[in-house]
Amino acid sequence: MIGEAAHLLLALVGPARLHDGVAWITVACGLAACGPAGLRWLRVAQREHYLAGSVSRFAGRWWVSSPGNKGLAVLAVVAAMVSVGWPPVGVVTAGVVAFGPLGLTVRGRTAPLVWTRRLRTLAAVSAALVILVMVAGLVSGLASPAAVVAALIVPALVDLACAVTAPIEHRLSEPFVEAAAARLQRVDPCVVAVTGSYGKTSTKSHIAHLLRPGRTVVATPASFNNRVGLARAVNEHLAEGTEVFVAEMGTYGAGEIADLCRWCPPDIAVITAIGPVHLERFGTEERIVEAKSEIIDRAATVVLQVDDKRLAVLADRAAADGKRVLRCSAVDPAADVCVERSPDGTRLSVHTVGRRLADGVRVPSGLQPTNLACAIAVALALGVERGELVARLGHLPAVEHRLEAVRAPTGVTILDDTYNANPAGAAEALAMLDRAPADRAPDGSPERPAGRRRVVVTPGMVELGRRQAEENRRLAAACAGVATDLLVVGRTNRRALMTGAASVPGSPLRVRRVGRRDQAVAWVRQSLGSGDAVLYENDLPDHYP
Amino acid sequence: MPEVAVIFGGPSPEHDVSVLTGLQAARALAGRSDRPPPSVRSLFWSKTGEWYEVDPGLEADSFLEGVPRGAVGLQFTAAPDGGFAEQGRRGRGKPLAFDAALVCCHGGPGEDGTLQAALDLAAVPYAGPTVAGAAIGMDKLGSGALVATAGLPALPRVLLRPVGDPPDFPGPYIVKPRFGGSSIGIEVVEDFATARARLAVNRHLRSGAVLEPYRPELTDLQVAVRTWPQLELSAIERPIRADTSSDILDYRDKYVPGEGMAGAPRELPADIPSELEKEIRQASERIADVTGMRGVARIDFLSDGREALVNEINTIPGSLARYLWVNPPLPFTTLLDDLLAEARARPTHAYSAEGADGTVLRAAGSIAGKLG
Repeated sequence: MIGEAAHLLLALVGPARLHDGVAWITVACGLAACGPAGLRWLRVAQREHYLAGSVSRFAGRWWVSSPGNKGLAVLAVVAAMVSVGWPPVGVVTAGVVAFGPLGLTVRGRTAPLVWTRRLRTLAAVSAALVILVMVAGLVSGLASPAAVVAALIVPALVDLACAVTAPIEHRLSEPFVEAAAARLQRVDPCVVAVTGSYGKTSTKSHIAHLLRPGRTVVATPASFNNRVGLARAVNEHLAEGTEVFVAEMGTYGAGEIADLCRWCPPDIAVITAIGPVHLERFGTEERIVEAKSEIIDRAATVVLQVDDKRLAVLADRAAADGKRVLRCSAVDPAADVCVERSPDGTRLSVHTVGRRLADGVRVPSGLQPTNLACAIAVALALGVERGELVARLGHLPAVEHRLEAVRAPTGVTILDDTYNANPAGAAEALAMLDRAPADRAPDGSPERPAGRRRVVVTPGMVELGRRQAEENRRLAAACAGVATDLLVVGRTNRRALMTGAASVPGSPLRVRRVGRRDQAVAWVRQSLGSGDAVLYENDLPDHYP
Repeated sequence: MPEVAVIFGGPSPEHDVSVLTGLQAARALAGRSDRPPPSVRSLFWSKTGEWYEVDPGLEADSFLEGVPRGAVGLQFTAAPDGGFAEQGRRGRGKPLAFDAALVCCHGGPGEDGTLQAALDLAAVPYAGPTVAGAAIGMDKLGSGALVATAGLPALPRVLLRPVGDPPDFPGPYIVKPRFGGSSIGIEVVEDFATARARLAVNRHLRSGAVLEPYRPELTDLQVAVRTWPQLELSAIERPIRADTSSDILDYRDKYVPGEGMAGAPRELPADIPSELEKEIRQASERIADVTGMRGVARIDFLSDGREALVNEINTIPGSLARYLWVNPPLPFTTLLDDLLAEARARPTHAYSAEGADGTVLRAAGSIAGKLG
């Protein structure tokens, strides 16, 4: 039996010039390179929610991210081609794949690889695919080129493994989703579902705040917004006696929210905003609107931010369908709920259907009026008394990392907007940097003394599809109008940001490039003093170049 | 060396603080220098009421998203030969062996007697309050009445109802949930009409509320009491409010800085006249008696500097009040060992069916006859 197998194997490898020992070494190196490369790209897959296709996209990004990586990529491909005729050169490809791209580590700095059950499955399937490529090579008599190619296409193989395992994962999560659905039915809370391209988390926390202490509220923890996350939130957080469950629903594609609503049907559905976030997964903003609007199908009450014309259209459609629609705005006092900002940006006034609810409400900096308007609409829909609502509005807590302003002991004002990833939020943040308090001049006027620095530290915004470069150019150009210094972090959007900064003629903006955010922080610590201000706009995990 | 269990979490608003207390206790028990140290089982009670065994060495952030990674599901049976067991593929798996449990739950069913009753029915020896002691500690109206009956000074405290006359003391008032730990749900109001209106809007008051006069000039004084190996009192502390503009020492003051109560700002021992200290010590011993105290508890007083008014009793205080034992210093591990020793030495329940010898059943005749 074993003899037969060996015989067969010999018959297979016979034509592959494997009597040549060097070819075996190439095969060994190619397969060995798949190890570190596999771990590296598995980590990217994990950070990108195991979405098939994302690993190859990131691989493309990384290999062109710097001249060094571009050179290595060309070298690897050329060496792989040469190795078909002359196997030893394949070792070069293996070496590049094992150690590159430069800057993307196997272990990870911000988010290390976590060996979950799902990742182990993915690793096993990826390894099986490598073996499959190898077997195909043996069969066709091209063993060493097969090993080299396998090493080269590890990102694609990980993507393929993601695609293969997706239906299996869906099946495996079935019991948890069923348990969650049963729990929801037993506890029977009023379900408020929140979606939107941005502002979901803030809106969710505003809703929870406004409903307390009158109701027992459970809100999904940050980022528990897909099928598995929402099921886990229900199973682990929805205690008996919960009256209102505020569920964040995220989507990366059509049908996902509809699927969530099948087992977690909302009583009240909220759409906070539509923007170009995740454009590279959706293609067009129209498709984003369609995917998000799945949330209103089963809800009797719908809360929409109608300053966006597309959502205003959706509101009319929902009203025609007989739903109760609450339109929210930051500009139209006749809307069901309108939250307007005072000219200096520190106070808000609230109107409901043209009637004044509250004036001069002091709120934490960075609060988005439309998000608050949506939360107020939900509270009103749930019957919170107007007087009680006004009292709660006075104590809105700051939303973490959303434009929190703190004064460091050194006198530097620090604006933390690292959780923001959308153009509208970035514009808001720059406006706030412009208003940042400086030390008062000797005559008491709050004028900004000459020479005070305004610094923006940003890696730019991502997931904006074809608009990404354009939006980042705009961001940098806007910085030129407000800031004195711009620190470009990393390489992901370096070119767009540099181009944008250079596009404003006569701007005094100084631009610096740093590799990582901690280098920018070190520069800020060293260079800024009392009266200066720094805005940290967005932060990218380290699987971005 | 015996195995011991630390129980924490639970479906309570103080779930997170309980996780901190439990992790501190588990770490202290597992990490000390005895050769060999006792083996510690960490039993995590989830927000939705499920049981898990988790690694005793976990950090607080492992619980941020709910049940930590690697947690093993448990089944709990409140019956003889019950207790905790691993969830087997087919029903009940291997039972968890330990000879005493340390209950580190704050608020809700872990501190109001519910968990204690379940552990009693499963014959699991545990440290801390008994069913009755826990229930009394959680009932502000009931414990207040006991304190008054014992002749100890306290602010007047009445049941706040949607109907009926105002109390015979003037406002401003402080409205508190009748049941519940910590200061969650407490509000200060100007007048009686507002107090009554809060009943409808503050859900913490739904299962009952009490009303007291609000006396902002009074400050808090706290003392811990433990009952094993003998009744013993800690130093007295004066907690310091983080925000002086805040009306009362609230939940954030107590628990938000770092490691729970143990990290809050305080004056310890409190600089108070010896007369006042003596008064507090005598009152505390008396309270331990009348409430049937067991384990380690914290009694909170209000004081104007001369008189000490009993405010409330925490039967399972945050961090098990370990930071209060400074004079003489009591190592946390000794405090925990003594609690567990008490769990083994002083059983919390002794059921008896004596007298149910069939006499009544024999004489009863038919049930239909009884109904007719």
